[in-house]
Amino acid sequence: MTPQALYLAPTAKLPYCRGCGHSLVVRQLSAALEQLGLPPRSVVLTTDIGCVGLADALFPYLHTVHTTHGRSTAFATGMALAEAVMESPGLKPIVMIGDGGAMIGLLHLVHAAQLNVDVTVLVHNNFMFGMTGGQHSALSPLNWVTATTPRGNWTPPLDLLALLRTAHATFLARQLATSRELAGAIAKAISSPGYSVVEIVELCTAYGTRWNKASGASLEDIVRRQGYAFGEVESVMERPAFREIYRREMESPRAKRAKLPLPRISTLAKLPGEVRMVVAGTAGERVQSAAKLFCQAALAAGLYSTQKNDNPVTQGSGFSLSEICLSPKPIEYTGMESPDVVLVVSEDGWKELEANGTVAACRDETLVVLDSQIDMVPPRGHVVRLPFRREANPQRAALAAMAAWLEKDPLLPAEAWEAVLASEPADRRAESAAALEIGRRLAR
Amino acid sequence: MLAEGALAAGCRFFAGYPITPASEVYEVMMRELPALGGLALSAPDEISSLCYCVGASLRGLKAMTATSGPGWALMIETVQYALMTETPVVVALVQRLGPSTGSATQGAQGDIGLAEFSTSGGYTIPVFAPSNAAESFELTVHAFNWSERLRTPVLLLSDKEVGMTSEVVDDEALQIPLLVNRTMATGQADYAPYAAEEPEGVPAFAAVGGEIKTTVTGSAHDTQGRLRKNSPQVIEVLKRLQHKIEAHAEEMAMVRPDLDAEARCLVISYGVTARAARQAVGKLRREGRRVSFLQIQSLFPIPRKWLVRAAAGVESVFVAEENLTGQYRAALTPYLSGKRIYGINRIGALISPSEIAGAVEGAMA
Repeated sequence: MTPQALYLAPTAKLPYCRGCGHSLVVRQLSAALEQLGLPPRSVVLTTDIGCVGLADALFPYLHTVHTTHGRSTAFATGMALAEAVMESPGLKPIVMIGDGGAMIGLLHLVHAAQLNVDVTVLVHNNFMFGMTGGQHSALSPLNWVTATTPRGNWTPPLDLLALLRTAHATFLARQLATSRELAGAIAKAISSPGYSVVEIVELCTAYGTRWNKASGASLEDIVRRQGYAFGEVESVMERPAFREIYRREMESPRAKRAKLPLPRISTLAKLPGEVRMVVAGTAGERVQSAAKLFCQAALAAGLYSTQKNDNPVTQGSGFSLSEICLSPKPIEYTGMESPDVVLVVSEDGWKELEANGTVAACRDETLVVLDSQIDMVPPRGHVVRLPFRREANPQRAALAAMAAWLEKDPLLPAEAWEAVLASEPADRRAESAAALEIGRRLAR
Repeated sequence: MLAEGALAAGCRFFAGYPITPASEVYEVMMRELPALGGLALSAPDEISSLCYCVGASLRGLKAMTATSGPGWALMIETVQYALMTETPVVVALVQRLGPSTGSATQGAQGDIGLAEFSTSGGYTIPVFAPSNAAESFELTVHAFNWSERLRTPVLLLSDKEVGMTSEVVDDEALQIPLLVNRTMATGQADYAPYAAEEPEGVPAFAAVGGEIKTTVTGSAHDTQGRLRKNSPQVIEVLKRLQHKIEAHAEEMAMVRPDLDAEARCLVISYGVTARAARQAVGKLRREGRRVSFLQIQSLFPIPRKWLVRAAAGVESVFVAEENLTGQYRAALTPYLSGKRIYGINRIGALISPSEIAGAVEGAMA
């Protein structure tokens, strides 16, 4: 087959209105593909909603993907991203989108520019929505009459290319559909290794010329009056394309972080049944981290555990708590109907346990270990007050409180803590060991 | 574990956007995928996340994203596109309390309706709901397998309590199914991207960029992928999209039954509430009550045969779920005719075992 026959058949009957710029664009796209000599199976034409969406059927040998409105660039970006990890890359996604689609999918045009994926977007800017009856778009010029701006458009049009330039797009060009340079611009856009956008200015002959004094001859004037540049607006070929950046990322040592093995010990804990414990304090004071260490120690000792955390939406203020269930068997319900042990190391923690019903759910035999600074009294429970915050500092108070409890009620063998601490980073290890020691000392 | 399951299932593309309580999946995938030769990426919003995944899947990669209710609301357009174009993709929806932004750190099971009844035309999207970390792993592998086999979007419906609770998992006890990959098209000349041999069949897949020319479209199309109106073939394709799911409903069914042939009542639950329900059933039995229990893992298509079998002979059915209106109960009700059906519902906290046991005792007294 001749290259021509591989793209747009010269005899193809185009579905567009007489004089519509879309017909010119599909022919120029075909000419650009011929010029580049790209194998048709290495090209995917991704079309948006609107009259541009009729273009796929005109290219019977290319892969075609007809998408939802505005999302064509995002789907094409997904295909281009995949190229970075394909064994045999080489796909060239080309997007055909209108001015309406470019605005509803603006985020996709912007992010593709930031990523610098190898996607070429052809924006068919005819100043309005054609297929739906000639409505106003975000790219309609000032005073442009449309079905929905019968007195003329009063919102200034968006300079798409200026915007994409700030998003670091590497190749940007604006051409009239009638321009002889259009095929060359499209070819350059496709062959560039990164992201390219060509805005093609044209007229909707169904509605644009019906309601406005506009013709092919006045088109350039309309655009220039808006202060928009023609030709190549941006061409920075040295910026690396996404594929190159990602391949580097994959080979970097950061990407291959090994997992630390979880410690196991030989002395297993002997727990007759389930133990449910709540530890509560202030966000940012390592309450949930202490709970995690505790669960790891329990795991090392052969127990099952669940750790259910809660905190406000904010990360570093207000309360922070963990509800822990320990059991010799797999655990079903992870909540806290009535706790066996409650450890509270700050007022924030206490207030939350009052609010969420934990305090009221305490039984007479519940062990309630409080920091000395909390002068509240639960209605039921065996209360112990110790100065964790003062002695161990607030950051280590939760861990100290756990150690104090375990000193009274030795559920876990000391070996379990040692094994867990040994797997901690060195700086953390000393700090945690100190907290545990303070807790034990206070309990004694 | 959901992310670990995805890695084990062969997922090689992930695009995500931060949202509590799904961000952990996102973070694990960002950390682990590059070393496995996959691609993980931060998208600028949830719409882009899923579009990127669908694009990558069209290119041939197994792809997934993870989100919560507000993000899922944005993804529904693209889920429908994946359904219509028969593009495999998995979405993990880690539920939090809604409506709207709701409460980011509060678990809930309130997105059953939003998840399943989200398509124009009411098509069935397969939904799997894990109740713990181990199931999060296993059901994710199943989700990928069905997504590939039936070329459909599949949803993993987790929630804050399942997704963010740390727990011990016996990795040697994990039931990992064999991996399934989409059937690839062979031959070239007569490839029709949307043609299947049976009315409930699945077309062979040809990747964008491959040697076989493929035509993908989200608009109503014939078997060749051509936009057509008033063509009987278009209607046949639209019917097949639903029939291919229904035809595999029983094979897709995944339940954890604990039935008693003499039971007078049946407790049904799923997701995190199934854990409390199982504990409640144990308590009721220790008190001498004859109770059956059915945990449903494959919420949709509804495992009808299991439902009918579990409910055979019982007078009352209790459905426990952490939402206000009994969304899954409403979906099950048509298959439980003749039974007294009770909902055990709550929002804002886990439903406890004693709440479930109490409801059963109260109704059966």
